[in-house]
Amino acid sequence: MNSYYIINLLIYAAVDAMACLGLNQQFGVAGVTNFGFIIFQAAGGYTAAILALPDQSANGGFQTYIGGWNLPFPIPWIGAAMVGGLISLPFTFLVGRRLRGDFAAVGLLVTAVLLNLLVTNYRPLLNGSAGLSLIPQPLQGEYNAQSSGYQWTLTAIAIVLCAVVYLFVRRITESPYGRSLRAMRDNDVVADSLGKNLFSLRSAMLVTGGAIAGLSGGILVSYITTWSPAAWGYAETVVLFAAVIIGGAGNHLGAILGAILVPVGFEEVTRYIPTSNNLPPNLIPSLEWVAIGLLIVIFLWVRPQGILPERKRVIRAGAAAIPPTAAAPPPPEPPVPESMAPEPAVPMSAMPVSVLRPAGEPPGDREVVLEAVGVSKEFGGVRAVDDVSFTVRRGTLTGLIGPNGAGKSTLLAMLAGTLSVSGGTIYYQGRDVTRLPAYRRARLGLVRTFQLASEFKRLTVMENLLTAVPDNRGDSFRGALAGRRYWRGDEAAAIARAEALLERFGLDGYANSYAGDLSGGQRRLVEIMRALMAEPRVLLLDEPMAGVHPNLARRIGNQLTALCAEGLTVLMVEHELAIMDEFCDPVVAMAEGAVLAEGTMAELRSRSEVVEAYLVG
Amino acid sequence: MTIFLASVGFGLVTASVLAVAAIGFTLQFGVTDVLNLAYGAVMIAGAYLAYVLNQAGLNIWVGLVVAVAACSAGSVLLNSGIYAPFQRRGATPITMVIVSLGMTLIIEFGTQAIAGGTSVSYTMAQGPSVRAGGLVLTTVQLVVIGLSVLVMLGTHVLLRYTRLGKAMRATAANRTLARNCGIRTSRVITLTWAITGALCGLAGVIFAMDAGSFDATSTDLFLILILAATFLGGPGQAYGAMLGAVVIGLATEISAAYITPSYKYVVAFVALLLVLGVRPTGLLGARA
Amino acid sequence: MSAKDDTGSADDHTGSTVPGAPGARGVELRATGVTAGYGGDPVIRGITVHVEPGQVVSLVGANGSGKSTLLKSLVGVVRVSAGTVTVGDVTVTNRPPEEVARAGVGYVPQVDDVFAPLTVRENLEMGGYLLRPKEVKPRIDHVVTVFPRLATMLARPAGKLSGGERKMLAMGRVLMLEPSVFLLDEPTANLAPAVARSLLEEHVRSLAQGGASVLIVEQRARAVLAISDHTYVLAGGEVRMEGTPAELATTPAFVESFLGGTVTR
Repeated sequence: MNSYYIINLLIYAAVDAMACLGLNQQFGVAGVTNFGFIIFQAAGGYTAAILALPDQSANGGFQTYIGGWNLPFPIPWIGAAMVGGLISLPFTFLVGRRLRGDFAAVGLLVTAVLLNLLVTNYRPLLNGSAGLSLIPQPLQGEYNAQSSGYQWTLTAIAIVLCAVVYLFVRRITESPYGRSLRAMRDNDVVADSLGKNLFSLRSAMLVTGGAIAGLSGGILVSYITTWSPAAWGYAETVVLFAAVIIGGAGNHLGAILGAILVPVGFEEVTRYIPTSNNLPPNLIPSLEWVAIGLLIVIFLWVRPQGILPERKRVIRAGAAAIPPTAAAPPPPEPPVPESMAPEPAVPMSAMPVSVLRPAGEPPGDREVVLEAVGVSKEFGGVRAVDDVSFTVRRGTLTGLIGPNGAGKSTLLAMLAGTLSVSGGTIYYQGRDVTRLPAYRRARLGLVRTFQLASEFKRLTVMENLLTAVPDNRGDSFRGALAGRRYWRGDEAAAIARAEALLERFGLDGYANSYAGDLSGGQRRLVEIMRALMAEPRVLLLDEPMAGVHPNLARRIGNQLTALCAEGLTVLMVEHELAIMDEFCDPVVAMAEGAVLAEGTMAELRSRSEVVEAYLVG
Repeated sequence: MTIFLASVGFGLVTASVLAVAAIGFTLQFGVTDVLNLAYGAVMIAGAYLAYVLNQAGLNIWVGLVVAVAACSAGSVLLNSGIYAPFQRRGATPITMVIVSLGMTLIIEFGTQAIAGGTSVSYTMAQGPSVRAGGLVLTTVQLVVIGLSVLVMLGTHVLLRYTRLGKAMRATAANRTLARNCGIRTSRVITLTWAITGALCGLAGVIFAMDAGSFDATSTDLFLILILAATFLGGPGQAYGAMLGAVVIGLATEISAAYITPSYKYVVAFVALLLVLGVRPTGLLGARA
Repeated sequence: MSAKDDTGSADDHTGSTVPGAPGARGVELRATGVTAGYGGDPVIRGITVHVEPGQVVSLVGANGSGKSTLLKSLVGVVRVSAGTVTVGDVTVTNRPPEEVARAGVGYVPQVDDVFAPLTVRENLEMGGYLLRPKEVKPRIDHVVTVFPRLATMLARPAGKLSGGERKMLAMGRVLMLEPSVFLLDEPTANLAPAVARSLLEEHVRSLAQGGASVLIVEQRARAVLAISDHTYVLAGGEVRMEGTPAELATTPAFVESFLGGTVTR
């Protein structure tokens, strides 16, 4: 009895913890709110059942179901995980970028309710509301399933599998891929602009979480030997959400703690409530649900980060300097460009690797790197940009000025590919890129920043920078699974580049601060540095100094000038013309969708049409 | 043909109940920006309150009035005590939905804790049946349809011709600009909760009348119909909700006549998922 | 609808003493040392502006210099962290926007300036929300005489108007109350130059001639200077210079400051 009780407790704890880990991976780490999570556990349960059960006529036919293949352990569990993952695929269309998160969540919730209804009512499929019973336990023919030794072994296997799942999700979460997931959670639009494929990331999380949920369902039915629609009502998903929120969303240990406190804890607490004859039969379970609802609301109000909050990923300064162990592949060091001559203003010698991709020619060559030919943009009949042609030369810090509504930001967006052109052609490095989407241009080295603050708030400054690194071997599902040794080289190189940038922009003291805690000006810096991490050849900056203290603006200007001297090309929209005076050459003046003039700021100031444009508008 | 006409009759009643519920739900979302999934739970709490009064010997129509008032007051409290504080703190839409799910558990199972788990029915006369062109409807069903038509007309009058209704639409469209016009939007929002809460209570009682018997979890599935009608018409769009209610109500009941009745919700479900996947702004929605 | 949270004499929801009455004219707007922002670093710092009845006062300066933020802080949309804002004798610092409106301030924001799903007539009705019901219709009739273009499109949803019509509606909406103080945030943005000039010269100027205090933010510096009694030049969230248009026109530093030049503080 006592042993049975402990076994029961441990198995439930392992199963619930596993499910919470899967849900936490989706919700806490990747920000995918899957209110249909229980469907996948249910699918795993049914799959394990029909794989393990003999044909439906075997038990005298008192229950009807499809399948009944009588397959040996561990096939039912493997099948459970696979089916849990596979049935996630149809749901991926709900979590693309088009649908609001809360609407997608509603869609998944409704799906969970409806599938339960279908299974309940359609008996031939899975025996309807009565559910399946007499599900064979693993290897019950070979061993005595009633013996405590057998039960303890099953328990141990469940716990070991739970530990494996924990290591698995941790491996994903702590990789560069996991960082991309967390970035998507914090700000999906910006993650998208950095070349993260939101659909693929979310789909991978749905499938991963679904497989984990399926496995947990498979283990559960193997132990309790029954499975019915009553076990997976929509409210069970809410219980798992409660567990993850209370334990600490984004923290896998928190998810395990939540699983022990909420589903397991509630089961155990009610065991000790005396069943009195005076109480209505449904009272205790009802009050349990009420308590779970209260816990969710109270926790979201009092401690939304949960008991064990997501921990900060601190990356030590100089971590990259530690040479990788012999077993690790050597980091692919990019060749140091010739143009990286020591620069007195910046401690370049301290930089282990280059900040930038090799620039090719030395600066001063001034060949055209970006060109707009007759580019136009119409918005509902209004020409925001009208037949604009101009060129940007390599190694220059080109300014783009003009009164409000001149079409500067629109032009910048078309150059970057975030807006399509209504007419005209854009050449980048001699190649027609007019039809290339933004992320493809970004991969070619044409990178933009946004006017609005766009940092990932719950990532550190260092992590914000690392997110933008293209081609990190660990920034894919497969790479993450391959483990730290596979990607540590890329990571170390990226960290070294990030540290050099941080030092350069004077933010090295904030590497391990959450980006959300920085001041407005510092956030602008983070965004510029993040854009630089994407290894741009041409950087398009949209008002990088807006709302930035003049001293800081000057520092940004100095650093951009230095970067241009190393071969970077910058095109910058800016309203503070003093900045243009000091740093930009040439400056292009626009008004009412057209280019008015080009030259140094001093030249422009002497041109009456520019002055008029500003004064009259 | 008889089956078809009978199912049209059922469909009209379901559509009527659904329209009342969906108008309230969609206005709540449109004006106050809360996707209140606890709406179904509040409905059933109202229905159960009417049942308690009914058991105490009161006429069910008196119970209905009390339930409407109680749900109105309860919804105002739900907002001022729970949703509004979370919104003031800047909670994300997802957090708001999770909070509303928590409130669903509290209200729904709180009702169950009091009511017990068994199904209950109102003690009421169905009244003589009325035949019209092959349709057979009881007096109560006709009253439900009549009430629903009144609610739709009332909503139309409210939104188009009254100062409050226009202020509600202005608040939904642009809250800051509404305040710049001198509209006390917090008061408009409170009144919106009162009105939509009343509709929720009315929907709860007529839902229970239509269903015949109900328990605390009966609106779990009905909430799906409400969501389907709301999203079909475009979230926040009152006229869209009316259209959505008629489409979903008729579609579910007519399909129920030809396939097993327990699958009738599948129609609503498919409609909802299609709308969410293809056109999240709904048929009448224009908001991006 | 109790009156217990009412703040001043001009605050009455039935609108009997609201700015609709001609007697409400002659109210000055005064902002003293206003510092405000969006939670982080302040966007504007220690700005003092003053508008007397019958005056058009303009705010010019580069984008990002804090002009719009100043207007928003005056009407209670952005929180003021230091300084005071008074309308006549009433202090409205950090009062909610609806109370500032009730104190007789009409505000036309730069964007989101109409209720897109509502018809033109309904937009005007919302503008006249504080009027007595029976005053609304005559007032709409008056507004469409000011903006005759609106008369033919009263039943059209505001979201379907052209840019110029939309701005007229936004101005007309504010005119409904005949406020004593007008705050206009780039009313001519995206308008054709001729339309912009007529909007400024006919409508904005006539507001002041009717006795109102008008504070206007404009990109079109020369056009707005032509109708201004006084102008403030903002840069970096502070007032860099001020004066009458005539004074500014003769100051080389004005054009210089507007086009950037060298930053000297």
